[in-house]
Amino acid sequence: MLLEIKELTVEFTSMQDKIKALKNVSISINQGEIVGIVGESGSGKSVTALTILGLLEKNASIPAGSITYKGRNILTLDKKELQALRGKEIGMVFQEPMTALHPTMRIGDQLAEVIHRHRRISYREAYQQAVISLAEVQINDPELVARKYPFELSGGMRQRVVIALAMSAPPDLLIADEPTTALDVTIQHEILKLMQDLAAKRGTSIMLITHDLGVVAEVCQRVVVMYAGEVVETGTTEEVLHRPNHPYTKALIGALPDLAVPGQALSAIPGESPDLRNRPRGCVFASRCADSLPICVEESPVLEQAYNGVHTHQVACWRREAE
Amino acid sequence: MNPLLQVAGIGKEYRKGSQSFHAVSGVDFSIARGETFGLIGESGSGKSTIGKMITGLEHPTSGSLLYDGTPLWTDNKFNRLKPGEMQIVFQDPQSSLDPRMRVQSIIMEPLQALPAAERKAKGTTEKLHALITRVGLKVEHLNRFPHEFSGGQRQRIAIARALITDPAFVVLDEPTSALDVSVQAHVLNLLQELKRERNLTYLFISHNMSVIRYMCDRMAVMQKGRIVETGTVADIFNNPKDAYTQTLLSSLPSLHAKKVDNECSTEQSLEKSASKSS
Ligand SMILES: Nc1ncnc2c1ncn2[C@@H]1O[C@H](COP(=O)(O)OP(=O)(O)O)[C@@H](O)[C@H]1O
Ligand SMILES: Nc1ncnc2c1ncn2[C@@H]1O[C@H](COP(=O)(O)OP(=O)(O)O)[C@@H](O)[C@H]1O
Ligand code: SF4
Ligand SMILES: [Mg+2]
Ligand SMILES: [Mg+2]
Repeated sequence: MLLEIKELTVEFTSMQDKIKALKNVSISINQGEIVGIVGESGSGKSVTALTILGLLEKNASIPAGSITYKGRNILTLDKKELQALRGKEIGMVFQEPMTALHPTMRIGDQLAEVIHRHRRISYREAYQQAVISLAEVQINDPELVARKYPFELSGGMRQRVVIALAMSAPPDLLIADEPTTALDVTIQHEILKLMQDLAAKRGTSIMLITHDLGVVAEVCQRVVVMYAGEVVETGTTEEVLHRPNHPYTKALIGALPDLAVPGQALSAIPGESPDLRNRPRGCVFASRCADSLPICVEESPVLEQAYNGVHTHQVACWRREAE
Repeated sequence: MNPLLQVAGIGKEYRKGSQSFHAVSGVDFSIARGETFGLIGESGSGKSTIGKMITGLEHPTSGSLLYDGTPLWTDNKFNRLKPGEMQIVFQDPQSSLDPRMRVQSIIMEPLQALPAAERKAKGTTEKLHALITRVGLKVEHLNRFPHEFSGGQRQRIAIARALITDPAFVVLDEPTSALDVSVQAHVLNLLQELKRERNLTYLFISHNMSVIRYMCDRMAVMQKGRIVETGTVADIFNNPKDAYTQTLLSSLPSLHAKKVDNECSTEQSLEKSASKSS
């Protein structure tokens, strides 16, 4: 196991309020695996990523849980150790590539500087490596692009550069938070393919955060479905997307126009996400669930194996299929 | 039967100093009454510009637009045939709703363009209350400000605002692109219901192919200001003729996707082939 998040709870204090953004989140990632974290906005995907990276804002606290990376609990590392981990061991790619790029520095220099820092080679060698790494993210004419500034590139090209930066150490884990959300669909397709190829070639694990179940289906081996700061269902992509067991996962798939028959209404989920300042006592989905039982509003279900006779994955629901 | 909207060879050229840029070139299509016509393409392909030319927000620099047989533009002047007959809903309800106005004033505002008698007839409290509840909000919401609402609720406000004049034709420019999937489902269902109840005709603009497939009868695929393919949704999805349409469809991440294939052309090769062909 490369990364293991165990029963993680994260809270934010804002004014008088305590916002419980993550509750009892457990996620594991094996070496070389691409794991999708999927959920609607506010479900806690980015907070999960930022917690791993030690980049939570000052108003955050972590009252419970652990994050073990290669046997070390990340949550106990100091600032310096975390900084060493980021970039070198754990690479990151965010939705907006400009946040990762220096606006007034040429692409080649930005890459060379990072490579120079990580690999103890001369700057000249690092620059040559930088050009090679641009070629590796399938940028045509890497020498030319190396001499350009970020604003001279398209969004898709910038995201390729950011991936080259993130992969330059090279890291064992890449955390990508909505890396293709701002891009057109044809470019998204290429970037996903690129990430998949790089991961396969170098054995890098990827935590791919997305709101798009289609993206998960396309590239992830396993998927974690989050709702209101909790993991409600997890398993292989095939299992979860083709045989969803949790009412929320089922409803989310039913709400997609992708498989819907034109003319027939989409199955929309009634109500709204719960207030994270005041979480329900029982199941977090109970107020919107068509299948809820009396116990659902009393006690929250924990993530447990569901089993339909042939297949198995984990579901947090009192109605999960079991033997 | 005559089409409700006929778009013939329209173009939009933007000039800046000595430079000129064709955002839209030689676009033809027509929309029949009661139809939902989809316009799909990647960002910058000219979709919104077309929506704006139809609704009077930008004038075409070439070609003609006929609504119910009458030209919409004479030179650079938009002919308001019947005020309120056409409306537009934009993607981002955050920026399209004036934050300083209460919901009631926002919804009623388009009535200003109507003659006094009609304004009075369409703007009764009874009608307003019926409309706000019809789009899934409450009467007490009328007194609030846009920031007090979620993204989905704000889009419901924008829809109510578009419908207050009883339009026949509505341009929907990426109406659900900023929304979560479960919220999008509610809004798409609402748009379908309203269309049936009010005999509306829609121009539905989106970069999301699944949404277009689900919502539209016919569609056009745009690339760099031009239409590369027009047809029924079923034809285009089942049997795309144009190479760009094929690329677009093969890029669509599908719930039942196989893993990413390796044969798809790259962004750069696409750019190259596009610059060659233009
Ligand atoms: N610094 C913060 N202060 C208060 N609340 C926060 C902070 N950061 C995130 N949150 C809240 O935590 C929840 C989860 O956010 P996030 O992880 O960003 O969701 P997403 O799944 O969309 O990435 C949201 O309700 C958000 O408002
Ligand atoms: N006012 C303007 N001046 C100059 N160029 C513009 C203007 N409005 C839009 N454009 C350009 O026209 C092209 C088409 O834009 P748009 O119609 O908004 O595309 P879409 O809606 O398909 O994303 C883009 O390249 C855009 O930058
Ligand atoms: S635990 Fe109960 S309320 Fe929650 S998802 Fe399952 S059935 Fe629905
Ligand atoms: Mg996020
Ligand atoms: Mg647009």
